[in-house]
Amino acid sequence: MAPIQPIKNYDYLVIGGGSGGVASARRAAKYGAKVLLIESKFEQLGGTCVNVGCVPKKIMWYAADNAHRKHQLKSYGLLSESEDGEVKFGDFNWGLIKTKRDAYVKRLNGIYANNLNKEGVEYLYGFAKFINSDGDVEVTLTGDQEIPFLEQGKSFKQHEKLVFSSKKVLIATGGTAIIPPKIEGSELGITSDGFFALETQPKSVAVVGAGYIGVEFSGVFQSLGSETHFIIRGDTVLRSFDDIIQTTITDYYTDKLGVNLYKQSGGVTKVKATSDGKKKVYLGNGKILEVDELVWTVGRKSLIDIGLDIVGVKINDKKQIIADEYQQTAHPKIFSLGDVVGKVELTPVAIAAGRRLSNRLFGPEIYIKDKLDYDNVPSVIFSHPEAGSIGLSTKEAKEKYGEENIKVYNSKFTAMYYSMMESDDLKSPTAYRIVCHGPEEKVVGLHIVGDSSAEILQGFGVAIKMGATKKDFDNCVAIHPTSAEELVTMT
Amino acid sequence: MAPTKTPIIAKSFDYLVIGGGSGGVASARRAAKYGAKVLLIDAKFKKLGGTCVNVGCVPKKLMWYAASAAHGRHHLKSYGLSENDDDEVKYGDFNWAKFKVKRDAYVKNLNGIYERNLIKEGVEYMFGFARFINSDGDVEVTLSGDQELGFLDEGKSYKKDEKLVFQAKHILIATGGTAIIPPSVQGSELGITSEGFFALEHQPKSVAIVGAGYIGVEFSGVFKSLGTETHFIIRGDTVLRSFDDLIQHTITDYYTDKLGVNIYKSSGGVTKVEVDKDGKKVVHLGNGKIVEADVLIWTVGRKSLVDLGLDLAGVELNQKKQIIADEFQNTANPKIFSLGDVVGKVELTPVAIAAGRRLSNRLFGPEIYIKDKLDYNNIPSVIFSHPEAGSIGLSTKEAEAKYGKQNIKIYNTKFTDMYFGMMDSDDLKSPTAYSIVCLLPTEKVIGLHIVGESSSEILQGFGVAIKMGATKKDFDNCVAIHPTAAEEIVTMT
Repeated sequence: MAPIQPIKNYDYLVIGGGSGGVASARRAAKYGAKVLLIESKFEQLGGTCVNVGCVPKKIMWYAADNAHRKHQLKSYGLLSESEDGEVKFGDFNWGLIKTKRDAYVKRLNGIYANNLNKEGVEYLYGFAKFINSDGDVEVTLTGDQEIPFLEQGKSFKQHEKLVFSSKKVLIATGGTAIIPPKIEGSELGITSDGFFALETQPKSVAVVGAGYIGVEFSGVFQSLGSETHFIIRGDTVLRSFDDIIQTTITDYYTDKLGVNLYKQSGGVTKVKATSDGKKKVYLGNGKILEVDELVWTVGRKSLIDIGLDIVGVKINDKKQIIADEYQQTAHPKIFSLGDVVGKVELTPVAIAAGRRLSNRLFGPEIYIKDKLDYDNVPSVIFSHPEAGSIGLSTKEAKEKYGEENIKVYNSKFTAMYYSMMESDDLKSPTAYRIVCHGPEEKVVGLHIVGDSSAEILQGFGVAIKMGATKKDFDNCVAIHPTSAEELVTMT
Repeated sequence: MAPTKTPIIAKSFDYLVIGGGSGGVASARRAAKYGAKVLLIDAKFKKLGGTCVNVGCVPKKLMWYAASAAHGRHHLKSYGLSENDDDEVKYGDFNWAKFKVKRDAYVKNLNGIYERNLIKEGVEYMFGFARFINSDGDVEVTLSGDQELGFLDEGKSYKKDEKLVFQAKHILIATGGTAIIPPSVQGSELGITSEGFFALEHQPKSVAIVGAGYIGVEFSGVFKSLGTETHFIIRGDTVLRSFDDLIQHTITDYYTDKLGVNIYKSSGGVTKVEVDKDGKKVVHLGNGKIVEADVLIWTVGRKSLVDLGLDLAGVELNQKKQIIADEFQNTANPKIFSLGDVVGKVELTPVAIAAGRRLSNRLFGPEIYIKDKLDYNNIPSVIFSHPEAGSIGLSTKEAEAKYGKQNIKIYNTKFTDMYFGMMDSDDLKSPTAYSIVCLLPTEKVIGLHIVGESSSEILQGFGVAIKMGATKKDFDNCVAIHPTAAEEIVTMT
């Protein structure tokens, strides 16, 4: 077949209009580069974060949090004697919130498009794939659209193919949730994408997989009145986090929140549909559950079906794209970052890496060695209560430095807010842990659980990146009365 | 009694602490930890903890939580958790009386915890009014209630008003302060202060608050949120005038435009207060207006509690009648030290605690602490307004005045928190605004001012970073946490 001629040439071609791709594209354009961004989801810029991740997740978390607040109103003298405030199935208008949530996401899609227009980044909606070893990219349009930077007024059709070339290419195609391929009937379950597509609230739900996504979904469902069954293989959730987070959340979920946690489940062996549309879930330990919805939160995989072998871009054994510290792949003009490379799958990480890459490729001399430091990246979990973490867990610290060189400070308490609760099961715990290394007690890890943890962590993240010691923490006068002050007054 | 008469000393101590509040208790406990023999004296019978525990931080925060919950109730419909049209908290919806009972019980519980902590750590204590009776620094205590004093005489019951004299090698004055009722305003005694606020058994239907500082702002916010018609009388055009403009304007505008507080700007102050036949307070303003309210609350400032025979002990006061203490908390009398609200400076509980502990480190601790003292720079503080605000370091004005406008760079951001994205109407939304004040050329962060949800919890970590000398680059170097409000502080351009 004769080689296809690219119809336009660019300085920077970005495959993926999510957190990493958009940030890198905009930064490159700021330096005067001619940029083309390609996004496969038709008119849904923003990637996982905006459409089926961080943003709609946080809105659902706010709803769940408000459900808790409603239940706490009576203790604060703001509900009549006859009312209870507890949110039961049917009390939450799931349909209404989905509509409002979708509208909010759509507004963001529009804002992303506006920003690209404003900054002179050209974009189109289609699936991209490499078609030759030069790294030329063929795009198959994913919807009818106008492409004014190619031809004014012409309407291009869905499935039409266009070829582009570029001096540099970024692969930031992200990832997608896994439905376990070997489990019989697994297609009867949905993933996080399906969660955000639910039009009505399931009365009962099974969530499989003990990572943060499963924890967040379980928390939201239970708080909003769904009978929640959480199936995990071990004894605790959030096993990649410090013990203090694992045990505080696991215990609270089982003892107070009321999530039915199936520890040592043996995993799911089989799923069957029942005659009335429910899912029958068979566990390895012999138990059987019947639920309205089954949600798989067993992991995510990179989206790499874009002709990588043609350009010689390599993937690791987890099928993630291999990129070095400068986001360079095996092909000299192709770079990669964000969820598709694995590493630290967070929006702000993709954004930071994307911007630094463009600084390096298109910016002034001072940025010639710009790259993201992947150490001490803070992250939070929107569980109930919230949790946050930066640096090494206690285990990791002891392994790395030796147990005798590690000192751990702990604090457990009930936030003042809960002192007014009429009963104990309305109270949620706060627990903080500082992991210190060496005689100067450098803070190598900070792990927090409790109300407002998500907002508390950022400032401490800055301090820890600066190399804070326990003494630096203690040197700042406490702010009273808050929860955060406990972090600077630990003994 | 003649000051030179030799008193009968009931007992001698290493450390005598006058005042069982934040500063006094912290210093007493730290001294005892080093093995010192300590006596702590508090005037308020069986109410250890001072202003903070009894009529300050603690009950204030509980009221703020109630007010916050009231806002939360109004948001339920927007979050699909209510079908009511009248979730907004109106007068009568909040069970003030029942809540006060719970709040008082919580405070009483803390009083007990403070006592138990003193006992556990071997600090002797008693309830009474202390005063110096001679230049040796001997202290006479008039008991403020019947009590046993096990450290003097086991089993004996001492009576209220009985007087006992004590001696110590070192004495700490941490007597705190009290709210001011303006002495020269006619009828001012018809108004109450913050203490009166916490004594209110019933929620007033209408209230007038005088004084634009943080206490007035916090009270106004609480009252309005809980359904009381709130009149806020200030002399200038903004509240919180000792804070950065960003905080002043964001809070003032929100209070007037959205919260619905009636703010009387350029009021001319209060000239006279009368009471009408229904018991309502009639408040006359300098600008001619008249405000009527069930309760009048003065939040015009606080004064130090210094009526302890200081002239006998040779302890000096400044012109604001606060005790003069140097950076090591020394007073003019070499045996006597002072800290906390009574010395003015930075009137916050954690400051008193920090100063109290460092003083005891220095006086009673090992050699390494010989020069221990509190650095009063870059102390973070927050205001429990609606929305909350927080601040550390210099305001923009202060920074420009100190370093010159050309050497200062300000970073600002204003946005509506994602939480409010679901609100059915704009008046349910409250603003977020952040301002970073940087000193060129390194862009060292010399001030941080924040307004918005969770500001009180956001600030602490940034306080640590700023105390460490953080620059704007340090802020930007930490990957953002998403989705949060705080992340905006590390992504400002």
